[in-house]
Amino acid sequence: MTIHGVRAVVRVERSKLAGQIKAQVVLAACVLGPFAFAAVIRLQSSLPEDTLFGRSVRQSGFAVPLVVLGFAALWALPVLTSVVGGDLFSAEDRYGTWTTLLTRSRSRGEFFVGKTLTALGFSLLAIIVLASSSIAAGTLVVGADPIVDLSGVLLAPAEALRRVVLAWASVLPPAFGFTGLAVLVSVVSRSSVAGIGLPVAIAMAMQLCALVDGPEPLRRSLITSAFGAWHGLWTEPHFYAPLVHGTIVSALYLVVCVVLACCVMQLRDIGR
Amino acid sequence: MNAEQRRRWHGAFGLLALAGSLGCGASAITPARIEASIASTFANLVHVQVSWLGLPPMAASAFAVNATCRRPGGGNNIGSGEWTCALVWKGPDKQTLTDTYDLFVTTDGCYTATVATENLGGPTLKARDGTDVRNLLYAFEGCFDTT
Repeated sequence: MTIHGVRAVVRVERSKLAGQIKAQVVLAACVLGPFAFAAVIRLQSSLPEDTLFGRSVRQSGFAVPLVVLGFAALWALPVLTSVVGGDLFSAEDRYGTWTTLLTRSRSRGEFFVGKTLTALGFSLLAIIVLASSSIAAGTLVVGADPIVDLSGVLLAPAEALRRVVLAWASVLPPAFGFTGLAVLVSVVSRSSVAGIGLPVAIAMAMQLCALVDGPEPLRRSLITSAFGAWHGLWTEPHFYAPLVHGTIVSALYLVVCVVLACCVMQLRDIGR
Repeated sequence: MNAEQRRRWHGAFGLLALAGSLGCGASAITPARIEASIASTFANLVHVQVSWLGLPPMAASAFAVNATCRRPGGGNNIGSGEWTCALVWKGPDKQTLTDTYDLFVTTDGCYTATVATENLGGPTLKARDGTDVRNLLYAFEGCFDTT
């Protein structure tokens, strides 16, 4: 396996992805969704008070990306991060193209690494687009005013922006964990429906589990808990333990899923 | 006990400790954690509210907020769900005030506090210059570390 070979696979997968309507629709939704949300908030009288910072969405535009983040963590982030990872491998089964691909000059390992990197890259891109659009929607539609944090301290716009960016950056590890899970399901099941649907169903089951009072270590072992680790960055003083635990748990999910998927891929008897 | 048996015992204790740490812990939502969080959050919010209303500025520590929290149903005073907190604090003119908040605490250590008494006004207040300002003390959110 060579870096040149992996790069070639990534290049091909990227161009295939750029031509897919599914990827374009997802990215368009990431751009337009936050603006639609901010516009609705401006027009209607009620506020999303059951979400953190929901009461502040009319006072400060920095509350908008945090409310979007709170909503997205429930189901949108698992969908965004599985939509490509859950389809990239199983699509070759659906079209029956594995045998054609593997007779080319690229090895099975290069295909696996290249496709996995493409899936992780798309997850990264989708989150960057959604975060940027949310920040732009908040500051342009509502305004870049100071915001009160989760300890009651008023933050200046520059500090608020820094913390919003950090909050969005903190969801990257669990997002990658879900992408790894989607890759594993896609490789094992050879079905895009399972590859995209199962990680989302698992995310919802984990969210339900997290609602029940239970031992803290058990709750922390759920990858969805890492989606809320940014709360500690919005308190005085900050607390980082959930962020550290969440990142470790996410890395474990990603490594275990990718290694298992790689083993299944290597051992697969393609052509039968 | 020979070396082999000692190794086995150590292994068994290690597994028990791991199982205990994973599955037998109690909820991290405790009165002490909630009280510490809501007292400091409330003090900081009063500090901001005073400046928004155009009153002379005061440090958050000057409000000397003391919180006592319990679950309304009694019984086990631990875990997520509904809580009630009584806050005793010193107002801007140094008189001692008591306010009660109804809280909903989630398993991740975040809560929404809504004032249960009428001393602190409605959702909006009039500032000294006549403008309407959001009453930060009417309902607010906070989070604390559950680890």
